[in-house]
Amino acid sequence: MSLVNFTTREITCKIVYYGPGRSGKTTNLQYIYGRVPEERRGRMVSLATQTDRTLFFDFLPLELGSISGFKTRFQLYTVPGQVYYNATRKLVLQGSDGVVFVVDSQARQLDENIESMQNLHANLLEQGLDIRTLPVILQYNKQDLPPELILTPAELDEALNFRAWPSLPADAINGHGVFETLKAASEAVLRKLSEERT
Amino acid sequence: MTQTRAVEPWTLEPLQRFVAESAARLALLTTTSGQVIAQHGFTRAVDVMSAAALGAAIAASTSEIIRMLQEPAFRVLAHQGQRHGIFLARFGTPRGAMLALVVYGGDSSIGLVQLFFEQFARDLAAACPAPEPARPVLAADFERDLNESLAALFGR
Repeated sequence: MSLVNFTTREITCKIVYYGPGRSGKTTNLQYIYGRVPEERRGRMVSLATQTDRTLFFDFLPLELGSISGFKTRFQLYTVPGQVYYNATRKLVLQGSDGVVFVVDSQARQLDENIESMQNLHANLLEQGLDIRTLPVILQYNKQDLPPELILTPAELDEALNFRAWPSLPADAINGHGVFETLKAASEAVLRKLSEERT
Repeated sequence: MTQTRAVEPWTLEPLQRFVAESAARLALLTTTSGQVIAQHGFTRAVDVMSAAALGAAIAASTSEIIRMLQEPAFRVLAHQGQRHGIFLARFGTPRGAMLALVVYGGDSSIGLVQLFFEQFARDLAAACPAPEPARPVLAADFERDLNESLAALFGR
């Protein structure tokens, strides 16, 4: 849940990058970490296994700057994608203001994407978060792979996006679509915050 | 150099008194999802956010293990290091559950921190004001500011 302070004019929001294992959630945060000036971001905290798979979460605090006179901070989290770690996914989702669902565009990963999407719905429901009103952005990652290996954004929309959320193609390892995804998620989260307060 | 600030100003006075009385080095007050409410002693806002996220994660995961064991809800965890100790507690306020993450050195002890923490929780409950009605936050054209901020952030 966003924290708003009218005295110091500060806003803090939490965005969670969700999706199946190896879809590119941590890669998104690593790219952002590498591009953002040091004074505008904190340390990237990664609780990972010895083989660099996310165990609990990755965390990256960002200072966006002044939005409508409010100093605005975003806390970016990833969840562990592997099915085994559902208990920790639920914990990371607590209090989230928006979700970026990172889809692995490879055709052979479609079942994993669907399973992870169903898991997101179930976990949000359990947390008392309404997926119909929570800002969600879909990122179709790995669109740089050969066309015969991947599904197109239109095919992925058909399979996963029955709620007609904003969706963006990406190649997170090279940074394509990472900025656009963060922008779309930030806008959606702040718009909801603005609507809730009027 | 220490830094003292509060997103919720009513928390600051009880927090400062607690830090002084317990002789703690640093203290953070956060929501259970890791949003910082008040701080004393951490120097960079972004370090505070990392510490808050980690504290919330520890509290959340410990709460889950406790729930599996059908034990009463999580209240306190402590770690004694060579130079610093860490005290993490979850407690209720009229504004909902909060977490306190306290770091203390050789000039204090877990006993001292725990002793004054009980008083701190009572002081916070007493200082908590009634909830304010929602007020508008962002201007209608906030997207322009957001676009400029993000473009500057990514060097575009």
